[in-house]
Amino acid sequence: MQGNLTALSITIFIILTVVLIGFLSGRDKKVRSSVEEWSVGGRRFGGLLVWFLVGADLYTAYTFLGLTSTAYTGGSLAFFAIPYSVLAFFISYFFLPKLWKVANHHKLTTLADYARERFDSKLLSILIAIVGVLMLIPYICLQLSGIQDTLQIAGTGFINVKVVVITSFLLVALYTFFSGIKGPTYTAIIKDVLVWAIMLFMVVSLPMIHFGGWTPMMDRIVKEAPQLLTIPTDGPKGIPWFITASLVSALALFMWAHAATGVFTAKSADSLRKNAMFLPLYNIVLILVIFLGFIAFLVLPKGTDPRFALLTLIQSSYGGVAQGLAYSTIALASLIPCSIMAIGASNLFANNIYRDWINPKVKPSRLTMITRGMVFVVIGLALLFGLVFPSALVSLQLLGVSGMVQIFPAIVISLFWKNQTREATIIGLLVGLATTFTVYGTGNSYGIYEGFWGLAANFLAIVVLNPLFVKKAKSNTNPVKEFLFNKKAKETSLAKKGA
Amino acid sequence: MKKGILTILVLLPFVAQLALLPFVNKIGPIIFGLPFFHFWLFLWIVLTPLCTYGIYQLQKSKGGLE
Repeated sequence: MQGNLTALSITIFIILTVVLIGFLSGRDKKVRSSVEEWSVGGRRFGGLLVWFLVGADLYTAYTFLGLTSTAYTGGSLAFFAIPYSVLAFFISYFFLPKLWKVANHHKLTTLADYARERFDSKLLSILIAIVGVLMLIPYICLQLSGIQDTLQIAGTGFINVKVVVITSFLLVALYTFFSGIKGPTYTAIIKDVLVWAIMLFMVVSLPMIHFGGWTPMMDRIVKEAPQLLTIPTDGPKGIPWFITASLVSALALFMWAHAATGVFTAKSADSLRKNAMFLPLYNIVLILVIFLGFIAFLVLPKGTDPRFALLTLIQSSYGGVAQGLAYSTIALASLIPCSIMAIGASNLFANNIYRDWINPKVKPSRLTMITRGMVFVVIGLALLFGLVFPSALVSLQLLGVSGMVQIFPAIVISLFWKNQTREATIIGLLVGLATTFTVYGTGNSYGIYEGFWGLAANFLAIVVLNPLFVKKAKSNTNPVKEFLFNKKAKETSLAKKGA
Repeated sequence: MKKGILTILVLLPFVAQLALLPFVNKIGPIIFGLPFFHFWLFLWIVLTPLCTYGIYQLQKSKGGLE
């Protein structure tokens, strides 16, 4: 179907404006003066900025397109995203402030940095970095397909979609290179405001357009498609799947490199506590958006590609201006998270693969340059895979969460368990990954989320093996362990820092 | 006493949003235009931050937050 010229112009105009703001936010040279400035904004962001940044991170184009399409095909299973993210923020309250304090005090910018210092292990940190980068690139590709689908609906007949997608991603890479985390932060505010306004507008207007209001809509769903409104009690994706998928995804959320980047920008542990309180409120809009998938189910002709459920619904319901605003919201929800994800992945690569393993003596200024330059490599790889071998990525995308959660014991449990050993943690991580891949590869998940089996095996391996190595771990200490577990040392080192 | 409240506040969001799911997985009654299952999830979007806030206040009053 032919796109809509008004809608397309609005979309392109908004994208370009946001790219411009991305560049302007890096006017001050200081933003690229060091890795710490460029990647975590010198840790000076207050509660509200972090809220926008983490929100922008996690509520992406894929969230809106993917969940409505799941609702369209799989009914209420799509709502697993709600307990998942509500619990993720709740859980974060208990460990992020602590993690932030360690990172702040020891000038760490990635989760792999933390693991290296906590366990004195470059092996563990490179494993975490590899998992992080490997899982993040397919995730960036998902965003890419988000904007590609949007432009395809908006611009068919007017533009060459691929060329525009590549151009817009290169622009994003360029402003990320230039402005660092400041770029996505300021543009995230625009994106989040648009997301809230446009999604609420859609949630109110679409039921009115098609059914005369929310209540008549719900009556129709209850009458014609009640199977959409509950979760199956068993089967490959029933209640046990829903519960384990929510829990595992919740534990995995802040293990993603881009989420960690957002967290490390905070200026105090307390701003993270407040964020843990207020971030769940983001889901008020999300839960309503998922219902749009049900509208698509009732309204769209059978045989519509589920991937395009929301976009086709927008196209068939609105005039040019509203279409344009909706498309640009989705496009921004794809581009801005990409920028933060690219920073997260570049940081892991430069710090924990390049510096830790290839060139430990690298000068800070050169490391900063390498970190920034990696943005092009990361986004380039995502473009390459996304456009050239899209099918190779599907498995990695599906396994992303299940893979990421395997670093949870290394990052979170280690904040609280003094005698957790390096050896057991590394073996646990490998066992967890192997189990996840095996369960996924053989398809024997017994109605439970794959990552849950992996995480269970991971924990089991750590608990069983830890006593074998604990003697050595007890006698060794290091500044991070002192900071975490030795109250007195912590006070003196904090006092020294203040002086 | 305070410790008991703290434990309850920590466990409540998990129990409500995971353990109780098999019991709330139904369409009726429809409340505020949402089927009961979705109403329940919506309710906890609002109640979970209140639990977090409660925990925050309790910890603060104990002086447990630096």
